[in-house]
Amino acid sequence: MSYAYLFKYIIIGDTGVGKSCLLLQFTDKRFQPVHDLTIGVEFGARMITIDNKPIKLQIWDTAGQESFRSITRSYYRGAAGALLVYDITRRETFNHLASWLEDARQHANANMTIMLIGNKCDLAHRRAVSTEEGEQFAKEHGLIFMEASAKTAQNVEEAFIKTAASIYKKIQDGVFDVSNESYGIKVGYGGIPGPSGGRDGSSSQSGACCS
Amino acid sequence: MKMDLVSGYKGVVGLVFGNENSSSNEDSYIERLLDRISNGKLAEDRRNAITELQLVVSESNSAQLAFGAMGFPVMLGVLKEERDDIEMVRGALETLVTALTPISHVKGSSNEVQPALMNSDLLSREAESISLLISLLSEDDFYVRYYTLQLLTALLTNFPQRLQEAILTIPRGITRLMDMLMDREVIRNEALLLLTHLIHEAEEIQKIVVFEGAFEKIFSIIKEEGGSDGGVVVQDCLELLNNLLRNNGSNQILLRETIGLDSLISILKLRGSNFTQQKTINLLSALETIKLLIMGGSETDPGKDLNRQANKTTLVQKKVLDYLLMLGVENQWAPVAVRCEAMRCIGDLIAGDSKNLDALGRKFLGEEPQVEPALNSILRIILRTSSMQEFVAADYVFKSFCEKNADGQSMLASTLIPQPYPMNRAPLEEDVNMSFGSMLLHGLTWGETDGDLEICSRAASVLSHVLKDNLQCKERVLQIEIEAPVPSLGGPEPLMHRMVKYLALASSMKSKDGKSGASRNSYVEAIILKLLVTWLADCPNAVHCFLDARPHLTYLLELVSSSSATVCIRGLAAVVLGECVIYNKSSESGKDAFAIVDAVSQKVGLSSYFLKFDEMQKSLIFINAGSTLTRKAFTRSSAASMADIQDEDENDLSEQGNLDHPILSSILNSYFVNLVTRLEADIRDQIVEVYSHPKINVAVVPAELEQKTNESDSDYVKRLKAFVEKQCSEIQNLLVRNATLAEDLAKTGGGQNSQSEQRVSGGSDRIQLETLRRDLQESSQRIEILKAEKAKVESEAIMYRNLAGKIESDLRSLSDAYNSLEQSNIQLEKEMKALKSGGSSTFPDVEAIRAEAREEAQKESEGELNDLLVCLGQEQSKVDRLSARLLELGEDVDKLLEGIGDDTGAAGDAEDEDTD
Ligand SMILES: Nc1nc2c(ncn2[C@@H]2O[C@H](COP(=O)(O)OP(=O)(O)O)[C@@H](O)[C@H]2O)c(=O)[nH]1
Ligand SMILES: [Mg+2]
Repeated sequence: MSYAYLFKYIIIGDTGVGKSCLLLQFTDKRFQPVHDLTIGVEFGARMITIDNKPIKLQIWDTAGQESFRSITRSYYRGAAGALLVYDITRRETFNHLASWLEDARQHANANMTIMLIGNKCDLAHRRAVSTEEGEQFAKEHGLIFMEASAKTAQNVEEAFIKTAASIYKKIQDGVFDVSNESYGIKVGYGGIPGPSGGRDGSSSQSGACCS
Repeated sequence: MKMDLVSGYKGVVGLVFGNENSSSNEDSYIERLLDRISNGKLAEDRRNAITELQLVVSESNSAQLAFGAMGFPVMLGVLKEERDDIEMVRGALETLVTALTPISHVKGSSNEVQPALMNSDLLSREAESISLLISLLSEDDFYVRYYTLQLLTALLTNFPQRLQEAILTIPRGITRLMDMLMDREVIRNEALLLLTHLIHEAEEIQKIVVFEGAFEKIFSIIKEEGGSDGGVVVQDCLELLNNLLRNNGSNQILLRETIGLDSLISILKLRGSNFTQQKTINLLSALETIKLLIMGGSETDPGKDLNRQANKTTLVQKKVLDYLLMLGVENQWAPVAVRCEAMRCIGDLIAGDSKNLDALGRKFLGEEPQVEPALNSILRIILRTSSMQEFVAADYVFKSFCEKNADGQSMLASTLIPQPYPMNRAPLEEDVNMSFGSMLLHGLTWGETDGDLEICSRAASVLSHVLKDNLQCKERVLQIEIEAPVPSLGGPEPLMHRMVKYLALASSMKSKDGKSGASRNSYVEAIILKLLVTWLADCPNAVHCFLDARPHLTYLLELVSSSSATVCIRGLAAVVLGECVIYNKSSESGKDAFAIVDAVSQKVGLSSYFLKFDEMQKSLIFINAGSTLTRKAFTRSSAASMADIQDEDENDLSEQGNLDHPILSSILNSYFVNLVTRLEADIRDQIVEVYSHPKINVAVVPAELEQKTNESDSDYVKRLKAFVEKQCSEIQNLLVRNATLAEDLAKTGGGQNSQSEQRVSGGSDRIQLETLRRDLQESSQRIEILKAEKAKVESEAIMYRNLAGKIESDLRSLSDAYNSLEQSNIQLEKEMKALKSGGSSTFPDVEAIRAEAREEAQKESEGELNDLLVCLGQEQSKVDRLSARLLELGEDVDKLLEGIGDDTGAAGDAEDEDTD
């Protein structure tokens, strides 16, 4: 249970884009074709390593429906990272990204790292949003971007880890006051207690596992 | 909107106090104070006013109501706009708290208006007010935060959902509340209570609270306060924790995966041997947490089983068994309630989990050289405790250990080796070095000396767990022989026979003791019978061993129909008999299945035999045992009473009278009930089978009936005669059985009306039927009476209608008469006028005379008319009343009365035919 850091993530995006499947693939390494509709919020956790440091990820998978917005919004501010997911085979889920982003900007802390995921990239033949469009959107809004598949597990690990690496780098750069837990970051054993600690560049080459 | 509310509220105030004046003094006083607060110029005066207001509001219900009607906008205004004036803010908050706190000395009549509740209602309606209150939590002033928390808690208690919804929509609302947990002690404790209310039955809020770090905070407070040795704050923390985990799989995963269970388990760690009541409650609360984790998430959660499994595994990995064994078994000072809860947790942890079962099987307790397996220690509790609760809890450990655990059963059974006689007599205290088996055998035969069979029955309960579904163990234990208590009384006998003896002893003691001991021994009997049922199931050798002693069968047959045995005892005895049929592989005459069925049919009667099953299934104990045990949730309110259970259970026994012992519902668990239900079906089938294929003693081979070559006639005749004789006796036997069956049939089917009904439907059904029948009878009688009444009323109505018709025609002729009278009057008048115009002076008196005459005539006719009208009025009211009654009876009155108003006087007669 000992970790250097603990990061809190949320997963957001329209219903049916594969949020719950991404979480299950990441925590349990399996794909469940028929996943129950998420009611409210579901939790998952996993340990990863970045820069040889054990990092615990606490991940909250939210329900996409409008009726749960007031519940899911409660998770924004306390999260260090967000995975914003759309479905590359359903254009409207891509079109809704702007409103999700607005929601996040309004309720989350300004330093939250957002990873944009175009999910279901295994369904290339039914693609409705090109990779370039996704990249373009991410660039415009300062997000990290990846296409992934919860079904084949392609890029799933990478997406979660790359997000963590980005947060980790922000810590190294002293962006956060990590003693304040409201940023969704907790320092454990072996973590750097404050922004003062080791800011040497060597640690930032961490998330090299990304595609 | 707000104005509407308040004016409506004023109406209520008026209503409550009858008129507005009675409380108008108070009203206007409060109004003046409010006016001073909102319009006052001097800060000092405004502060005084608010202090005064708070005082007034605290004094009476009517003042609370009056404040509610006018005060909220003013107070909220202060809170909103005068944040700088801390004293005013404090005053406003304190006044609000006062207005929301019920004045306690009111006599608790529930239909009285509760001003505090109404004020809560008013204040909580506007989400904006809640948001305002939450923002006050960031104020530096201690009292401001303190009163605000109190206010929010009061609102939450009264209108939880409204508050939950409001708080969800407030950005960082829950975060603010959570921060209070890290505040000064008083604030922190207040916040704990508030959060407990906030998350009540709100799964999503529970998750958000956990997202905000509730677990870490709770455990850090518990640690700070000294764990289980801490005060009521620890209890509050644990209650909050339990509410966050109850049926909430997501939070359970989070606790397990990211916080870990160490902090929780360490609460169970004991320091010192002093158990205050608070410590007991704290420990019980922590045990409740363990239980909640073992139960897993909500029923609907698809990952429930996985989660539950992971919880169990992690708990045991974290050495929870050691702490539980310490609390439940080793520690001599732990209160009974804690010991029982700890043992139940052990049972739940190991049930159906092979790894955990092994872990428990390998545990040793005590210190060298006095170490012994944990299971031995638990067995000792079973044999020794004076608390029924503790026996049941410890028995549950064995039940869980043995279920679907053949290896574990074999391990226990392998130690069942009879000790040489003197060892067997050793006092229970010297059993530290005994094996499990010796201790169990020791317990089984304990009653030998003083006739107290209770210990024996508890041991029998453990033995039945060891044997359940395990043929190998059953066979093994069949081999065990017990020496006679006094060697001169004969040689050793099988353990099973000894158990039957105790069973017989228990029933005979009961009949001697009379009522007082009845319920105590009925559970002794039931437990021994349960052992036999378990043992004989699927085990022909056990059946053989049981039937080896002829008196066993006779005794069992008596028990089945014994009127002094309880329903449950008779039923269980019937099951044992049935097992002697279905698992009977014997071909020995007198002991085979056929013989048993015959004996049952002759001594008990088949239908009466099967009735015993029905009665048992219907009996309360079976119904209770069959349903899955839902234990009472452990909450703050129930904590104290839980901690207090010492041995109150033994006290209610005397009141149970002839009923089965309540402990039986724990002993006869659902697993056993299912076994019995399954057996019953098999027994029915088997008995039919036995009768439909009677065993033929005399084989009829056609070839043998022919005269053999070389057989002399006389030999042939002799041989045939012998054959016929054999057949004859067989026919005789069959006839006897046939007669018995016919008799039984006659008993059931013969008296179709009374008896069969009684047999088929149970007692309660019969009673219900009886009541229904009586109700039906009463109803039909009432209908008859009503019909008669209706007919009577109808005929009366007709009579009155005729009468009315007659009176009307009288009236008509009268008015005709009056009309003609008036006519003639007018005539006379005219004539008079004519005469007058002729010579008025000549007849000066005519005018007067005429007026007089007319007056008189009028008076006369008017009087008559009045009489008639009165009379008519009376009749009319009679008709009205009768009509109403008719209406009640469902008669179409209008139709009935149709035509009465008509001019045709004879209408009534014509309509007679219509109405019928
Ligand atoms: N082919 C494919 N299907 C997916 C993938 N991820 C999710 N799905 C399917 O999309 C549906 C919705 O997934 P779910 O995780 O419940 O979406 P959520 O509402 O965002 O949580 C399910 O039927 C999944 O089987 C993927 O990567 N590839
Ligand atoms: Mg989902």
